[in-house]
Amino acid sequence: MELTVNSVARTVQSPPLSSLLTVLREELDITSPKAGCESGGCGACTVLVDGQPRRSCLTAVCAVDGAEVTTVEGLGTPEDLSRVQQAFIHHYAAQCGFCTDGLIVAATAYVGGGGSADTGDIGEALAGHYCRCTGYVKILEAVAAVARGDTFDTASTASSANNTYVTIAGAES
Amino acid sequence: MAVHRGKGLATVEYPTGMNQNGDPSQAWIKVKPDGRVDVFSGTADIGNGSKTVQSQIVAETIGVPYDWVTYDNSNTDSSPMCTGTFASRATFVAGNAVLKAARQVRERILAVASRELEIDPADLEVADGSVSVKGTPAKSMGVDEVAGAATFVHGELLTGDGAHLNPGAAIIDPTTGEVDKPPHAAISYAACTAEVEVDDETGDVRVLSLTQAYDIGRAMNPTLVEGQIDGGAVMGLGFGLLEDCYPYYPTAEHRGDGMNTYHVPTMAELPEIKNVLMENPSSGGPYGAKGIGEMSNNAQPAAIANAIHDAVGVWVTEFPITPERVLAALDAKSEGRSEPRREGRVVAFDEELSINSFTSAKTWGA
Amino acid sequence: MKVVGARLPRYDGVGHVTGRTTYVDDVRVPGMLHAAALRSVHHNARITRLDTGAAAAMAGVHAVVTHADVPLLVYGHLSGAGIPGDEPLLAKDHVRYRGQPIALVAADTVDIARAACAAIEVDYEELPALFDVRLGFDGDAPVINDTFGNWYDQYEGNLDVRQIRKGDIDAAMDAADLIVSGVYRTQSVEQVPLETQVCVAIPEPDGRLTIHTCTQAMYFSLGVVCSHLQLPMSQVKMVGGTVGGGFGGKVDTASDTLTALAAQKSGQPVKWRWTREEEMLASGNRGPWHMEIIDAVTSDGWILGRKMLTIHDAGAYGRFSVYGLTKHSFHHTGAYSIPNLHFDGYVVFTNKIPTTAMRGYGVTGLSTAIEVHAERVAKELGMDPYEFRLKNANRVNDTSPNRIAYEDPSTVEVLQSLAAATGVELGDGLRAMTREQRSGDMLPDHLVAQIGSGGGH
Ligand code: FES
Ligand code: FES
Repeated sequence: MELTVNSVARTVQSPPLSSLLTVLREELDITSPKAGCESGGCGACTVLVDGQPRRSCLTAVCAVDGAEVTTVEGLGTPEDLSRVQQAFIHHYAAQCGFCTDGLIVAATAYVGGGGSADTGDIGEALAGHYCRCTGYVKILEAVAAVARGDTFDTASTASSANNTYVTIAGAES
Repeated sequence: MAVHRGKGLATVEYPTGMNQNGDPSQAWIKVKPDGRVDVFSGTADIGNGSKTVQSQIVAETIGVPYDWVTYDNSNTDSSPMCTGTFASRATFVAGNAVLKAARQVRERILAVASRELEIDPADLEVADGSVSVKGTPAKSMGVDEVAGAATFVHGELLTGDGAHLNPGAAIIDPTTGEVDKPPHAAISYAACTAEVEVDDETGDVRVLSLTQAYDIGRAMNPTLVEGQIDGGAVMGLGFGLLEDCYPYYPTAEHRGDGMNTYHVPTMAELPEIKNVLMENPSSGGPYGAKGIGEMSNNAQPAAIANAIHDAVGVWVTEFPITPERVLAALDAKSEGRSEPRREGRVVAFDEELSINSFTSAKTWGA
Repeated sequence: MKVVGARLPRYDGVGHVTGRTTYVDDVRVPGMLHAAALRSVHHNARITRLDTGAAAAMAGVHAVVTHADVPLLVYGHLSGAGIPGDEPLLAKDHVRYRGQPIALVAADTVDIARAACAAIEVDYEELPALFDVRLGFDGDAPVINDTFGNWYDQYEGNLDVRQIRKGDIDAAMDAADLIVSGVYRTQSVEQVPLETQVCVAIPEPDGRLTIHTCTQAMYFSLGVVCSHLQLPMSQVKMVGGTVGGGFGGKVDTASDTLTALAAQKSGQPVKWRWTREEEMLASGNRGPWHMEIIDAVTSDGWILGRKMLTIHDAGAYGRFSVYGLTKHSFHHTGAYSIPNLHFDGYVVFTNKIPTTAMRGYGVTGLSTAIEVHAERVAKELGMDPYEFRLKNANRVNDTSPNRIAYEDPSTVEVLQSLAAATGVELGDGLRAMTREQRSGDMLPDHLVAQIGSGGGH
């Protein structure tokens, strides 16, 4: 089977019913798709297949023979981050990072498809992605900011609008 | 049949650290010949941000830019002992260890710079990667130059090590629980208001908003603090309404075995979250830090339960508060079975859940 | 200060967003075997026969690890604190929860390892199981834990109960205008890190072991591994520190020791990655708490005393439960100053997964109970919930249940802030309150004796 993975033509030797996740991770050594559940439940393995987000753990590789597969490695590099990647840094949308690659892939498809900056719309589009760390607040902010067309300073992070700061009287120093 | 709104309040406190048995962390630091700083610490980063926070503490304490610091927690050969990332201890305890190590490095930088500049170290300060004379900022040399001089002129290695140990608190009287010293490094405080909607036909509870106030000690990095508090709020919501390893507790049947059968909160359940973050520096933490990572999921379950009572007048005291439990409580109320036993001064709720209803092997009561 | 307090990006942020962060499952080693576990299918059973012969003989199988391969089978998580170990690393002749590991197989592929697990022959003699902590005290209850019985019985002073006694609870009950009791039961929760338990163990040519670990506590886990393997710490190198979520569930060191044993026995690198199903059904989780609270209160809203019974459902083995219960006991007044206390807490064993740490360990369920109870008491008194809480909120130099003076309590201030943020109008008296040491109206007679002398935290 032939795949184009992150713009590189690859030949796949794994058995045809192997999951795309296993092929990417174990045969092609592309480790950004994570095996969070291997049963379609968490979203951590999400990749783009011909531009559409797919759960690679539920996708038999033979079903995507000839397709173009994009993982987060193909979206941007440390030197040349995509806007979604920049937004995830600037809005602190990644804590442990294990859900992050799948979310960035899905968010890229969402904004690429003209998705709005409305957090309700974003929530609906990404609802199948679990994140146990962030409580989603800053993920939604990151994606909304990309959809709004913001630019991002990756040397600093943004405060969320939902937080205010005070100092307890007598505790000033 | 209607949807009812209610609000509920809860307030909590929570310790930083686990001094029950002593609670050590250690770190060491070395400086490269160009002044770049390598930190070795044994603290795992589980998403909480240990790598970031400890690097910030080191950069601040030595007086170099954040991006001069590399942080290595990768293995137990190169990193000294750290008890671990739990008990809300990483920022406070391990942060203190790197703080102490960084202070030593700073002293050694000042000592070498003093020889180079021929000025008393007490008259020097380090900031932004350069050592300058207090009051005469024009007279200065870069930390990179100091490190170079240490390496190639003075034959010295700029290093520092630090260890922090909260001494173990012992229970000196097991009958009263009296301890000889604090079993915690600090205590933090918080309060939360939940606003909910309860559907009295389906038993569904929707959390509309969580408004919270947290004593955060001092934020080493406010964005990371916000991230902990938002994440904790949603985990608390899961505890309050959704998550149960044993849905037929106490039996062990019908357990959820995956993401589709065990209900972790998703974006669909996300309420509006608003936080007031209150600085109240601790006396012993690095720059006044406290640990707030864990406590951030403690206030929401009760706030939600109290909001449900406000909405529909029933107390659900078995968690999580599933639709089934809400409906059972509403049924009990409409059948007049929900009132506590009131007898003289006594108001006794939930007697059917008490151990007294299950066994006589343990006697318990007022 | 410029760097501390600054909104800097995560140190590892670029790695996280570009797929470059290396988690344990991303570690690549040539010649790596894959492991799978055989786990108990029963809640409580004697193992009468364990035969790994057929499994070990299968093509592609390189090691089958059982209890007989573990140099020190039982090592207690809290042995450093003098609490004996009770849990074997692999079950020997008795399984006490469904999912308990019995053997680990290392093979060329995961599929072969799983097939080999299925080929291990185990005969069980099923025994009655106990699930309800309220029944653990009964004389005819099945005995769950070999070492401790049905509840932990080795607290200081040889007590079988974690106690707090402060002031005079009987006098408080006598003096009360109202005595309000309630029962609160909080559930077991799985930590659900997105990264399941995973380990890669590599035997090195010099005889050392390199262990790529997802632990939250590398040195704690180093100690656990070296104890079971009876090795000095120089022989094991833990590699980790980058963890895909933990929330308390990765302190147990659930996979490192067994993977290391498989690597030792096979002489090859071994990876053991738990499936999501194993993570959900067999990893240590947050334990359930059964809490009964009786508060003695006055009609003007003071809490004079609290009597409390706590039963922690620890599951089949102790792990950190005694630590969790002790912490629970120290905080059982929550954010309030209650001068007269009578607390009894038990760690009770049942045939469920051994419970372990999770965010808020020992306190999350407790806070839940205390705060629903506070709301009920306020309602019974017909008192505003803020007023009730603010009045009883702990203040500087009030003392905790274990008699430590509060140094910088801020319950008063966080409540006032929350009221402001939610548009709740507090009366003048409540707005003027501060955390400062009690005096005047805020220092009624019953609170005088509990004031400490500061210096605590
Ligand atoms: S691993 Fe594919 S959805 Fe979880
Ligand atoms: S950042 Fe940890 S699961 Fe999302």
